[in-house]
Amino acid sequence: MRHVRVAGRRQLHFMTISRRTFGRLVLGAGAAAPFCFARRALAAPKPGDELVVGIWGGIQERLVREHCEKPLGKKFSCKVNFVLGGTPERRARAYAERGRPSFDVIYLNIFESRQAVKDGVTQAATPAVPQYSHLVDIARLGGYGVAINPITIIYDKRKARVPVTSWKDLWNPEWKGRIAWPAFPAAEGAAGLLMTAKVWGGDERNIGVAFEKIKQLKPFAAISSSQDELYQMFDTGVCDIAIEFGSLSRKYGETRNPNLVIAMPVEGQAAALNVACITVGTANQKLAEEWINLHLSEPCMLAYAREMYYSPTVDNVRIPADLKPKLVSFAEAARLVDFDWSAVIHNQRAWTTRFNREIAG
Amino acid sequence: MKSWAGPALAAPATLWLTAAFAAPFAVVLLLSIQPGSDPFVHIALAPSAEQFRAIIADGFYSAVLLKTTALALGVCAVTALLGYPFALWIVSLKPRWRPLAISIVLVPLLVNVVVRSLGIELLLAPDGLINHGLSLLGLPRANHMLYNYGAVAVGLVQVFLPLMVLSLYDVLQANSPRVLEAARSLGASRTAQFFSVELPMSLPGLRAGLTFVFLMASTTYVSARMLGGKQVWTTGMLVWQDVLENLDAQFASALALIMTLIAIIASLAIALTASRLTPWLDYRPTRAWSMPRFLAVALDAFMPVLARLLIAIALVLLLLPLVLVFVQSFNDVPQAAMAGFRAFTFRWYAQLFDNGLYFDSFWVSLKLALATSLVTVLLAASAAFALVRTRFAGKAVVETFWMFPIALPQIAIGIGMLRLLQTFAALPAFLGLLAVHVTITLPFCIGLLRASVQQLDRTLEEAAESLGAGPLRRILLVILPTLAPGLAAAGIVALLLSFEEVTISSFLTTARMTTLPVRIYAEATYSLEPTVFAISSLLIAMTVIGMFLLGRVVRLDRVFSR
Repeated sequence: MRHVRVAGRRQLHFMTISRRTFGRLVLGAGAAAPFCFARRALAAPKPGDELVVGIWGGIQERLVREHCEKPLGKKFSCKVNFVLGGTPERRARAYAERGRPSFDVIYLNIFESRQAVKDGVTQAATPAVPQYSHLVDIARLGGYGVAINPITIIYDKRKARVPVTSWKDLWNPEWKGRIAWPAFPAAEGAAGLLMTAKVWGGDERNIGVAFEKIKQLKPFAAISSSQDELYQMFDTGVCDIAIEFGSLSRKYGETRNPNLVIAMPVEGQAAALNVACITVGTANQKLAEEWINLHLSEPCMLAYAREMYYSPTVDNVRIPADLKPKLVSFAEAARLVDFDWSAVIHNQRAWTTRFNREIAG
Repeated sequence: MKSWAGPALAAPATLWLTAAFAAPFAVVLLLSIQPGSDPFVHIALAPSAEQFRAIIADGFYSAVLLKTTALALGVCAVTALLGYPFALWIVSLKPRWRPLAISIVLVPLLVNVVVRSLGIELLLAPDGLINHGLSLLGLPRANHMLYNYGAVAVGLVQVFLPLMVLSLYDVLQANSPRVLEAARSLGASRTAQFFSVELPMSLPGLRAGLTFVFLMASTTYVSARMLGGKQVWTTGMLVWQDVLENLDAQFASALALIMTLIAIIASLAIALTASRLTPWLDYRPTRAWSMPRFLAVALDAFMPVLARLLIAIALVLLLLPLVLVFVQSFNDVPQAAMAGFRAFTFRWYAQLFDNGLYFDSFWVSLKLALATSLVTVLLAASAAFALVRTRFAGKAVVETFWMFPIALPQIAIGIGMLRLLQTFAALPAFLGLLAVHVTITLPFCIGLLRASVQQLDRTLEEAAESLGAGPLRRILLVILPTLAPGLAAAGIVALLLSFEEVTISSFLTTARMTTLPVRIYAEATYSLEPTVFAISSLLIAMTVIGMFLLGRVVRLDRVFSR
């Protein structure tokens, strides 16, 4: 194709095409191509579209089916498919599929979610989700925080000489041999390690302090790797004190163990969040945003609060009076101890090996 | 046989494994020689020994490798100890009782490994059945039976005992009763008959059983995680942790390859020992086995009691966890792992039928298991004929290649698959899962069918040929009917192994393709409710009824005999 000037006007001559023009056309088409994909991804959801959500099984699956899947299906006549499993499997798969994800939305924990954004696996939170503007600050990092569930010390009050008020109380001789220490690198294990470092003068860059202090607590009653296992240990008297999610532990205490106390250490509880993340490269961007908006809606937030004592992350939810004392308020959320998760991820492998060798092994 | 027959018969299994196993294995191999721990590492062909150096230099990894090997050897020893009297007991039963006994062996294979491990937890927990029993007898409670190597070993013995029993039963029932009669007529006591006749003749079965159990026990991680409580470390757990939690596939691949090397060395050691103990199989000179008189008398005195005790232990180990699963399905407790019966409820069954999710996954698993069984049997039968009836260049290499998927830890195949996900994403999910399930079940079925083809009476085929039957008629009218029990056995084993597979399926599962074991495992990663016991109890009931009905048509004891 060649431009020919005829009577002061540029006309197109279709008979021939120069190599340079052809090159420009190819370059132009190449530059325009991403917009085609973007248009497709941002297009309004159509009936029959399918959203793939990676989430934990059990009650979490039931709650999102009721409060997200049903209204989404009603609104867009779309289908939601769930991939169930633990965070490690989900995260490993999302990393393996970076840029060409089979998931549209995945649920991660606090530190994995922030790193996933840095690694280009998932998207940062944006106002494209209407509820974004109501999110508490901590829930805008690494995706959309959907539940605040801080980690703290839990213990059997019958076995405590004095109430636990500090993380340092774990080192009181009365708890020797009675502690179920959480496995690293699970969220509880990371919180235990980092809080130990913080209260004994270390930090994310000086973690040796924490390992040395934790070693002083040996022998442990057990190394806990799941809530089910830990609560069974409390039931059967295997352990008397542990580090665990306060929300789930409150539920356990109310239903099974009236002697369980959820401590409020003076140094603060460790921040932990469940985060919904939209994958980079999803073909269902709009539907994924709608899904997350539904998760952040009042019915879903309240269902989570009622069933699991997961605290809402948005400020436009009216929390019933009976639930308020059992949840983390926004003011309390601001006081939760957060960490430099980049440093944690950077050192995760070395810390895991050290934990296996010196603490668990 | 024509010269091309061997390669032609060997081709289907070889091609399948090349596509579905060799590709992920090659990825694992390449990953293991990459330096660093970048989760997005671009695979380079320049080799680096960094990962292997790190493993060898770290005493922790060497210690875990040694402990895992010791654990697998211990599990092998215990399964053999329990498996022998149990298999002999089944052989000694009247024919009408054998299908029931075979069912006792098969039913546990159909129950998910997570559920079976939970059954062991309910048995060993501080408020579990054993401690209740001790309390009733006025004995002190044993509160530390869980979360140690002993608990893991008990769990693994429960999981792998059926494989050992089936391997031993296969050879023991094939022994001619006349051999034992001859031994008796020469004055051999029952104990002497066992040590001089049955034990030597059953060594090929013991070799197969030990190999299967060692390879699977040394690569385990689900049972070890649940029953070891993170205080027990196995190499499989370390590989799982590195590849999934630390996203360090390079290190995990190197560790998986070392596990594979140990597995291959162990398999060769077992094969060599079995070969030296069974010289008659290779037409080498043989010395009669004998034992001192005093030892024979001593053994005669306590062996019958010991045998009964071991049979009772095997029965309890196989069945009690399943009974606990059944009881727990009616227990009104909020979590599956809670021991002790609180109150009777149908709630978990109601929940099961209400949401239907377990049934969706059940159908996915059943369809996958049936397809796997069919494809595996076709490939394995062809491969077995290639091994037994033909000679061709490279036969030994091909045979080793076919057995390789057992030696490589399943988690390692998962690592390779994770890296190949981009390619596999283009495949329909069902085909991806089918490819991997056939890869896992094929070595077992080739082993089973090889023995069955060896036992075929060639004179029948020659007689048919002399009467004018062509190759197709000989296959349809002579070979297939006589091979039917072997094909059925291989089909059932493939079906059961596929139905309960969770390790690789959890990597490959997709939104529309969640198998039942993956759903159960997914729930176990968060908080497992007793609904899982309800679906497992239904499965057990269905299996028993299915076995009963199948037993009316086919003699199950013959299915598992050559």
